Amino acid sequence: MINVENIQKKFGDKVVIEGISAQMRAGQCSLIIGASGSGKTVLMKCMVGLLTPDQGSIYYNGNSFTAMDHKSKTLIRKEIGMLFQGSALFDSLTVEENIMFPLNMFTKDSTGEKLKRVNTVLDRVNLSGINKKYPAELSGGMKKRVALARAIVLNPKYLFCDEPNSGLDPQTSLVIDKLIRDLTLEHQITTVINTHDMNSVMEIGDYILFMHQGKKDWEGTRKEIIFSKNQQLNDFIFASEFLKDAKDMRMLEETGKIPNDRDLDQMIQP
Amino acid sequence: MTFLSDIGRFLLTLKGMFKKLENRQMYGKELIRQCTEIGFGSLGIVAIISVFIGAVSTIQTTYQLVSPLVPISTVAEIVRDTVILEFAPTLVCVVLAGVIGSRIASELGNMRISEQIDALEIMGINTKTYLILPKIIAALLMIPLLVIIAMALGIWGGRLAGAASGIISPNLFDKGLMSNFIPYNVFFALIKSYVYAFILSSIPAYFGYHVRGGALEIGKASTKAVVISCVLILFADYALSALLL
Repeated sequence: MINVENIQKKFGDKVVIEGISAQMRAGQCSLIIGASGSGKTVLMKCMVGLLTPDQGSIYYNGNSFTAMDHKSKTLIRKEIGMLFQGSALFDSLTVEENIMFPLNMFTKDSTGEKLKRVNTVLDRVNLSGINKKYPAELSGGMKKRVALARAIVLNPKYLFCDEPNSGLDPQTSLVIDKLIRDLTLEHQITTVINTHDMNSVMEIGDYILFMHQGKKDWEGTRKEIIFSKNQQLNDFIFASEFLKDAKDMRMLEETGKIPNDRDLDQMIQP
Repeated sequence: MTFLSDIGRFLLTLKGMFKKLENRQMYGKELIRQCTEIGFGSLGIVAIISVFIGAVSTIQTTYQLVSPLVPISTVAEIVRDTVILEFAPTLVCVVLAGVIGSRIASELGNMRISEQIDALEIMGINTKTYLILPKIIAALLMIPLLVIIAMALGIWGGRLAGAASGIISPNLFDKGLMSNFIPYNVFFALIKSYVYAFILSSIPAYFGYHVRGGALEIGKASTKAVVISCVLILFADYALSALLL
């Protein structure tokens, strides 16, 4: 579990995030949503320690990450996996070497054991047999899945995903969402996703934190978001007529007026 | 102000490199990779520059030595000392600042922009130690070797040009090489090469590591790194010559 308490971050005189508190639970996908410039990425960077907040605390399973010394932070970081917006794969390494990198750095396993683990996670993200390819030879969706494989190769307790669906087609986005959701449930990972993909919000958002101009404007579940009266949130999520119609449809489903027979697993079948 | 803050950040970056290694084997592999890229990767250009510099030195020295009172073997002495004292360490390192410096700055800049450095940080790896330290150590190991090779090839190039143009026979050139040789000159050239190696690896690493923005900023950082490295190499050349000769 991750607890964020009253986080504030300034760059110069500009307050980028202010008074953010949230609780992200194990086995759930917690989504941070908001318009560009609302402070989502800064919040996530504060949570993983890439930025130091000016105020407030972040707790990993009750241990204050912000108050830890460098050595203790390093230990926590070994339990963190992160999927970056641009995948952040190492260009000069093959897929296999990319995924094996954390294993090489932090385990004393034999090469055979490490290779077995690499193949297991590659299989898990449905990319078996691409071990020797370089990142430049992969599509955007494949890169994201390889990056996800690298993020989970050390069995992290915490998984952070920064815009996992950016630049991907809707079908591939669903594949990534399903993978993240399944991995979260299988390994009871505390997953934090930074997104403005509405499909993700509606399909995998167990807990949703809406940010507006650096502040927490709303929080709740994907069911509650349908019935929210928050104007900023509604303007952001249901921005088009199509999405407004979708919202109305969901409201009818949630109130039992029409049946809901959608299944994310079936939706991504070829 | 920016200049002072850059110096401060540069020193902090250097200080940040000296942390406990997470896995010695991985750092060793990275060091070997860097030695290969810096050493073997630059061998071709060093060889070409050295041979031609030696050859041109022989021809131009002969052109300027018009007095019949000066024995022709003096040409070899002048070429030897010029190549050892100045051309091999300084000129080669100025060229290497362009070749290696731009590669280091753009590699690290690209890693920064594409969040690869952040990815390493998240894994719990000290990125300054993993990415910068092996490059500086590799430069300190390989560049003095390249400078020694440049000395040998420069003198050989001079001998070759002397023979090819009929200025000085190989025997006379060899005789000139042996006379009035001061071993301290080689020692001095090696000291210079260590200082230059540090400059041309650490400055580009600093600029590349701290890039902010996009592809344009990588190019700017790379150019800035090369220009500053070259200026510092020339300044160090003057300072070391004034101090040690």
